[in-house]
Amino acid sequence: MPQLPELTAALAAGKRAETTRLTQELLAAGVAPQSIIEDGLVPGMALIGEQFKRNEIFVPEMLVAARAMKEALKFLEPLLAQAGIKPKYTAVIGTVRGDLHDIGKNLVSTMWRGANFAVVDLGTNVAPERYVAAAKEHGAQIVGLSALLTTTMPAMKETVATLREANLPGVKILVGGAPITQLFADEIGADGYAADAGTAVDVARRLVGDAA
Amino acid sequence: MTSKEKVMRALRHEPGPVPVDFGSTGVTGIHVSCVAALREHYGLPRHPVRVCEPFQMLGEIEDDLAGALGSDCTGVGGRTTMFGFPNEGWHEWRTPWGQLVMVPEGFRVRSDAGGDQYLFPQGDVDVPPSGHMPASGYFFDAIIRQEPIDEERLDPADNCVEFQPLTEADRAHWRAEIARVQGSTRSVTGGIGGTGFGDIALVPGPFLKHPKGIRDVNEWYVSLVERRDYVHQVFSHQCAIALENLAEFARIASDKIDVLFVCGTDFGTQNSQFCSVATFDDLYAPYYRRINDWVHQHTTWKTFKHSCGAMRPLLNRVIECGFDIINPVQCSAKGMEAAGLKADFGDRLVFWGGGVDTQQVLPFGSPSEVAAQVTDRLETFSPGGGFVFNTIHNIQARTPTANIVAMVDAIQRFNDRGG
Repeated sequence: MPQLPELTAALAAGKRAETTRLTQELLAAGVAPQSIIEDGLVPGMALIGEQFKRNEIFVPEMLVAARAMKEALKFLEPLLAQAGIKPKYTAVIGTVRGDLHDIGKNLVSTMWRGANFAVVDLGTNVAPERYVAAAKEHGAQIVGLSALLTTTMPAMKETVATLREANLPGVKILVGGAPITQLFADEIGADGYAADAGTAVDVARRLVGDAA
Repeated sequence: MTSKEKVMRALRHEPGPVPVDFGSTGVTGIHVSCVAALREHYGLPRHPVRVCEPFQMLGEIEDDLAGALGSDCTGVGGRTTMFGFPNEGWHEWRTPWGQLVMVPEGFRVRSDAGGDQYLFPQGDVDVPPSGHMPASGYFFDAIIRQEPIDEERLDPADNCVEFQPLTEADRAHWRAEIARVQGSTRSVTGGIGGTGFGDIALVPGPFLKHPKGIRDVNEWYVSLVERRDYVHQVFSHQCAIALENLAEFARIASDKIDVLFVCGTDFGTQNSQFCSVATFDDLYAPYYRRINDWVHQHTTWKTFKHSCGAMRPLLNRVIECGFDIINPVQCSAKGMEAAGLKADFGDRLVFWGGGVDTQQVLPFGSPSEVAAQVTDRLETFSPGGGFVFNTIHNIQARTPTANIVAMVDAIQRFNDRGG
């Protein structure tokens, strides 16, 4: 029977086929799906995030690891749903209105899933009201806003204001994207800023009071 | 000293007045809304501005505006746009932000109920659109039209359909373009397309009616890791065609152009490079070297590499591959501080850009903050030549005119006082 650290290593190395195979073998051997996620995949994605932050791997390698995890989760999520097991935290994420760019947003989404957050991805060009509706519907603790363009930074500000007006208790707003800075995040009243996808996990955990 | 002489001195790393570029390439331009505002500011004749590059909605910098901005450079553009239609047959179009502009005949858009605009490849409204501008947007993004991938049937030839020998129409276009700039006192930048390896703006094939192969952006990046042989085959074929086309172009352009735009592939994000040095060495360097070697052996042109982002760890490789010029010099990215770049690479690489930050200072700062940063960058980058002033990438929509004017005035003051 394979061991969970093997799965962690396979995922961290971006070995898609091996990650899928080990996931299936662990399931067949009777390892609980939740354990496979929390003790196998989550540490693997954490390693990926750390390597990314240290510039040891780059966007292509992140995307490959993200695919490996996604394929493994295909086997695990139906079983968790059957058992009524849900991640502890839920995040809503999207690229703000007027902006169609999603690589950064997708990486953050993947890293949050890899940290065992439930993630509701609203896609790109998202109107402020849609964030509010999704946060309410899914009982989110985190709302993530992404913008690549200087021309859509005002839309990020507007979205934060709309979320504040909606008065959603317990919802923390995290922002990021190429032109976004901590200063801008502070100016528009966001709760957190992440410069990269790896850091987005640390910030989200801190915001929900679950710092590792 | 003519504009061209100013640029040539800078390219030879000789001291002198700092030359300026606004609009010679698709990465050193100005959004059409800002072009109209600048024409208004400088009291130039009013008319709808031509959108010379519809992907980023760049406005044509006509000779009168180039003069007002102090631009020393001009460009010879390709026959067709990023969406595959020729830049000809102009007609009026009202943009979503309410500006009346001129667009080419092939620029055909449809709107949805929310006001989003969809643009069609080669102007063919009977095929799926390839460009999308949100109602509140200011330019188009490529629509990903990725057919399902069957690993067993992936054929690199599908990603090579856009790399073709020059046609007679291309040759006629280039002859006309070269004739147009012949005798110009400005320095001329040219580019024939097909020399940029893996440019992510081009991978989706917004100019193709039915793109095949790997066209999804994420899928392409994954391919750099998982399908490297495929990518090598694409680049290898592309490089062979590019060298043939460059030979033809050189016969037409000869010494009428000074700079060749080679590649717009971005190697940096805000915080790190897009790939490791090892990946660059394996996947890109061999092809860049072949292109640059050919150009340097057969022409007088300097070669121009565009790459956004934090790419300092790759700059030595860029130089080793034979590039003469780097743009846009994104000083706001990690590790790209101006003084450090000048100290470490300034004697071997011309910085064509880096003049002012377009993420924070130019769009959101005050005119005095803009002037201060522009002056600082001029003082940092200009000693010993090797600097052509340009903003860090195109000037984006919503940039205050007063800030652009403050930038232009600061350059003028710097050059007037002798640097």
